[in-house]
Amino acid sequence: MQDFKQHAMLPATTHDEQARQDFVGAFRGHLSGRLMPGTYQVFASRVEPAFKAKHGRAPADQEEVRKVMTQDSFYQFWSAMQRRSQEMLWESVIDPTERQLPELIERARKLSRKNRGTLRLDPELEIPRYHRAADIHLQPGGYHTDFTADDVAAGVVYDKGINLYMGGALGAENDLTGNTLLAYLREKHPDFKPKRILDVGCAIGNSTLVWARAFPKAKVHGIDVGAPVLRYAHARAAALGVDVDFSQQNGEHTDFPDGAFDLVLSHITLHETSRSALPRILGECRRLLRPGGLMLHLEIPRGRTPMEKFMHNWEAYNNNETFARFMTDIDLVAESVKGGFAAADVQIDQFAPKLDVSQMNYTEHFFWKILAGWKR
Amino acid sequence: MSEMSKPPEFPKGHRPQVFDDPSIDQLHDAWLALATELAVAFERIDTLERLLEQRLGVAREQIEGYVADEAVAADRARRRADLAHRLLRPFREFREAAIARAEQHAPDPEP
Repeated sequence: MQDFKQHAMLPATTHDEQARQDFVGAFRGHLSGRLMPGTYQVFASRVEPAFKAKHGRAPADQEEVRKVMTQDSFYQFWSAMQRRSQEMLWESVIDPTERQLPELIERARKLSRKNRGTLRLDPELEIPRYHRAADIHLQPGGYHTDFTADDVAAGVVYDKGINLYMGGALGAENDLTGNTLLAYLREKHPDFKPKRILDVGCAIGNSTLVWARAFPKAKVHGIDVGAPVLRYAHARAAALGVDVDFSQQNGEHTDFPDGAFDLVLSHITLHETSRSALPRILGECRRLLRPGGLMLHLEIPRGRTPMEKFMHNWEAYNNNETFARFMTDIDLVAESVKGGFAAADVQIDQFAPKLDVSQMNYTEHFFWKILAGWKR
Repeated sequence: MSEMSKPPEFPKGHRPQVFDDPSIDQLHDAWLALATELAVAFERIDTLERLLEQRLGVAREQIEGYVADEAVAADRARRRADLAHRLLRPFREFREAAIARAEQHAPDPEP
């Protein structure tokens, strides 16, 4: 595991603040590595046998698993710890961020001026309901809420928070998801050299920068609905010496012209949208691609067995990823067809990252899901 | 928006209840917070011990081998008893209320 890279937009921590972050990170690693596998063990050893004794069959789907597992005392304990540690993860980052916010905002203003890419915000943009209804991942205020002028707090908190979330597995610059999708492109389509790239739902641009660095001659854009994460993304990119254009737009309907991009991407974004938004986003991706252009979406695994599916959907019920449970069985090819793609031009692949179980949270069988679609 | 407003303390959205009794959820949340602060305190003590060693030559072995004299031992015993007393307050209160209830409903003793 690489150490997290301390760049100019991250807040300094006091001795106690750092100790709190270190503890919550270590505690989550322990929960994931030592306790989480136990939920599968109690399912196999006592929950499923009791279900079979009563019904004469195994639980048929994740909902049947949910009914019995949520009554199991071991699962209850793990779940309570997982939930509280998720909240503590944000709290441990919010404290130093709030303490230094005026200074961080000033630093962001200065850094942004150095970024040769533009930052385009739209105060009139309607924040979609799937962001307003609940704070995704329990980050107070979500990705989109400004609590002061030129606020960057949501971005600062997100950057360090997601690093703690996966025990540092997201990489020194939280670039694991970008690197994974890039590795997929290079393996499957080594000759594809995009000149115009769009990252949809880019948040702090952690994945966007991977593409800007991999294709230095390309024009790279990142869009998101959240203003504070985009201000942060623009400043962070400058702090890391990369020029990227960021704009505040909804991926369901952007203001880019038809065929504006060779490559349109998203990184663990689709499951944070909604049933109605998903085909609209896929349709918009298609509109934005030139003929011969490629769409790539990286998604988190959703499990193979009913028990695995139930565990992955812990986040849907306990971490405000409310749409995630619909993503379990959704047919992404069919959704892409709704968005205008030909079924033959769309495919789903799996890609296994090198992770330790202490970084996986809900499973010992972690496979990224990749949706790829060509515009013919 | 020039005023700086504080972000909310709690995330917006559904709060799940894991245990049948919500006070069990709260109790787990509280002990986890306590464990965190204990980790924070341990780290600070560790830093202090290392600085003592580096700057003042107080070897860690000296801390391990420290023997309290009579006055210090008495002071520590008082603190331990006080901590136990404070910790067990809810249980004492619960016990006294239970006894009071039992006495109230107890049948009259046989004449």
